[in-house]
Amino acid sequence: MSHIPSRSRTASRSGTPTPSRSQTPSRFRAPVLRATNSVSSLHVQLSAQGHVPPVPDFRSESHIPSVFNNDTDDGILVPEAEADVDTTDGDVIGVRAGEVGDENSKKALRDQLRKTLSRKESFPAGTPTRRRRVANPSEDVHELRQELSFPQRQYFILTDAGKPVFASRVEDRDSDNLASIMGIMQAIISVFLDDGDKLRCVNAGKMRITFLLRSPLYYVCVSSWGEPESVTRTHLEYLHQQVLSVVTGIQLRKLFERRGNFDLGRLLTGAESLVYSLLDKIELDMAMITSSLRCLKLDASLRRKAASALIPAVKTKDLLYVILVAHGNIITLARPRRHSIHPSDLHILLNTIYSPSIVKSSASASWLPICLPKFNQSGFVNAFISFLSPEEHPTIMSLPPEIPFANDETAQSVPSTPKPEGVSLMSMPSLDLGLICVGGGSDFESLHSWADAIIQRLSDEGTVTSIRQSILAGAIEYSCSGLGIPGLRHFIYKSRSHVQITSPIFEDPYEDLHERRRLITLYQILHDNIHAKSGQDLPLKLQYIRTDREGVLGWITQPFEMYIAVSPRLPKSATIGAANAVARWVKKEEASLFLRDAPVF
Amino acid sequence: MAEAASGSADKSVQVKLVLLGEAAVGKSSVVLRFVANEFQANKEPTIGAAFLTQKCRLEDRVLRYEIWDTAGQERFHSLAPMYYRNAQAAVVVYDITKAASLEKAKTWVKELQRQANPNIVIALAGNKLDLVQPSPSASGGSAESEDEADDATATPGEEPSSGEAAESLRQVPREEAQAYAQEAGLLFFETSAKTGEGVVEVFTEIAKRIPIEHILASSRGGAGRPGAGSGRTDGAQGGVNLQENQAKGKDACNC
Repeated sequence: MSHIPSRSRTASRSGTPTPSRSQTPSRFRAPVLRATNSVSSLHVQLSAQGHVPPVPDFRSESHIPSVFNNDTDDGILVPEAEADVDTTDGDVIGVRAGEVGDENSKKALRDQLRKTLSRKESFPAGTPTRRRRVANPSEDVHELRQELSFPQRQYFILTDAGKPVFASRVEDRDSDNLASIMGIMQAIISVFLDDGDKLRCVNAGKMRITFLLRSPLYYVCVSSWGEPESVTRTHLEYLHQQVLSVVTGIQLRKLFERRGNFDLGRLLTGAESLVYSLLDKIELDMAMITSSLRCLKLDASLRRKAASALIPAVKTKDLLYVILVAHGNIITLARPRRHSIHPSDLHILLNTIYSPSIVKSSASASWLPICLPKFNQSGFVNAFISFLSPEEHPTIMSLPPEIPFANDETAQSVPSTPKPEGVSLMSMPSLDLGLICVGGGSDFESLHSWADAIIQRLSDEGTVTSIRQSILAGAIEYSCSGLGIPGLRHFIYKSRSHVQITSPIFEDPYEDLHERRRLITLYQILHDNIHAKSGQDLPLKLQYIRTDREGVLGWITQPFEMYIAVSPRLPKSATIGAANAVARWVKKEEASLFLRDAPVF
Repeated sequence: MAEAASGSADKSVQVKLVLLGEAAVGKSSVVLRFVANEFQANKEPTIGAAFLTQKCRLEDRVLRYEIWDTAGQERFHSLAPMYYRNAQAAVVVYDITKAASLEKAKTWVKELQRQANPNIVIALAGNKLDLVQPSPSASGGSAESEDEADDATATPGEEPSSGEAAESLRQVPREEAQAYAQEAGLLFFETSAKTGEGVVEVFTEIAKRIPIEHILASSRGGAGRPGAGSGRTDGAQGGVNLQENQAKGKDACNC
């Protein structure tokens, strides 16, 4: 039970110049070599099949660090600099917190803390680490094998004056302790700030407390899941983005400049649900962790047809993005020329519009100001959102005849029947299809009529019906077993040029939430090691981890990165074979899995 | 009347209406009751603003309400002018179990009277009437009966158990609000989005007050149908026919 991980880790880290590498038995190199072989055979096959993607030079995969600057200048999505979360907080240094309030008692607390902290320097559990080294990464895996519970993570937002803004757990929020917990957090953070340093995390046994300083706000996550630090840091970064989407960065700064102990919690009232759904989503969403997008799997020609309807007829300089969504995912989008979208902005936007008060609303349209922080932190754009109600297209569903047409625009001419009581829109299957127009202007009327025209065109051309039929037929998802790759249980494939991921539905044993959490955490460990996101010396090309329940492999090449889960009994060579087979399959299905071209205007 | 169905598209009068009021007083629930005749317990707070439409008939005229249901949170306050700027009607909602919400309503009324269209018709609606009514069974066995167990919007844990306890939840006496409404020149109603009580009346009375001919003249540049105004006085019984409670399944109006 315990002998496996360390061996496999050694093998997988064969590219790392560590002492252990030199002792690596040559038989562990075999899979790596074989991988290279099979990859080049993949290369050959692709050319033979007549695919025309810019043929990547697979031999260059040893220069992994350089591919981060992959040239995708005019892509739909902005590929995130992999070290983003580690570098963007530079401006926080030097911000002195704790100027407000009882300075003397705070100073006393700080001095006390400083003494305590330095005295416990040699005690690992209590030592806050600034740059955590994964010197012994198998510890994580070991814990993951032992740990059978994934206790709810706790998230806190506080101001740099120590005032509570948000606590994810209800019991924390109601507790009288919250203010003092926040005060202690603020004090600990400020001890480091005083020294011109920044606290990144505290490891306490299995528990890790991660801090993200985005003055005037501090974000804190408490987790015992055994995930890499970079994961919880990313969570906190998204949390920050979501807060900024509600109050812009500028607004935030001004509010706190005016009054250091401003009660931001009150201003955020009503936005808690957005934060909750975000935290819910990020738990298992690898697209968010890998800074990429997941689009709806759809027939390429249908996607293209939908896209062509989104292009504005007249040039509108106020228009930013036009996005068509269904089932929580993006179908296609139109954007201004030479203007890529940052995936995290899209995640924030999607999380916001899929809030129940919008997607489940009986309104024909919603209109909200939203700040897309990566696009522009200092101001709001306006989002027009219209979800087509399923009953507009009764032909594809056996609806009871009395379903009303009363409130939609397109059915105006149809003699409508009164809405019977008790028939709820919520009881419809999830056929949501939404159009989002994001623009700088505040002219709702013109956007509204224009959006109506798009929806009309999508309906007239049968696009709406086709998309809904795809959803009903289950064509927007696929199962791993359908790929027919022996031993393969699940995978996540990220196309690095498209900045998008694809993955099959979770099947047994990962239908179980607990197992799914475990698997995602394993993927996250792979992702972290492959990109050296938590202070590892070097990124990896390939990593294989075996637990009692599965083997997982992370693999990065120039065109893709891939995380696969296989049966633990599958030999490593077969695992590599499965990874290659996945790559081939994705290449073949690429057109329907990814949003490859989207119109520009 | 007879030609209303055939020519509704060109005859319908568009009336822009905005709902304003403090957060969690039930603005969205009032609209949902009016537009879909539904009630949802524990509704999520509105984000930004929602746009809804509902057609209704007043005499031989079809009105098409274009409703802006705004979010009540403070941070959205600055957006309100965009919604009431061109509105012909406003419904300012407060919660009769929360005195502070009437104060907020008064500031909205002031803002509207100062900055909105001078002819705007303003209605004041005290919502959550169900919370102060003696017994839920009195509200009748509507289709919403399964919701009766739930509490009304954003007022958890205050389910009235008896008549006296219920009435004690009331923080805004009807007379007080009515007096204020009269003084400020507002239409006044007490409503329950949950039971539906009073909701349609709000929109019906607004419809009667709207200077339809004026809207027609300004928006289309054409003459309105003569004689439409004459029916306004007796429009109360059967004029606006929005609710199908009584005439279930029957095509009572063109909504």
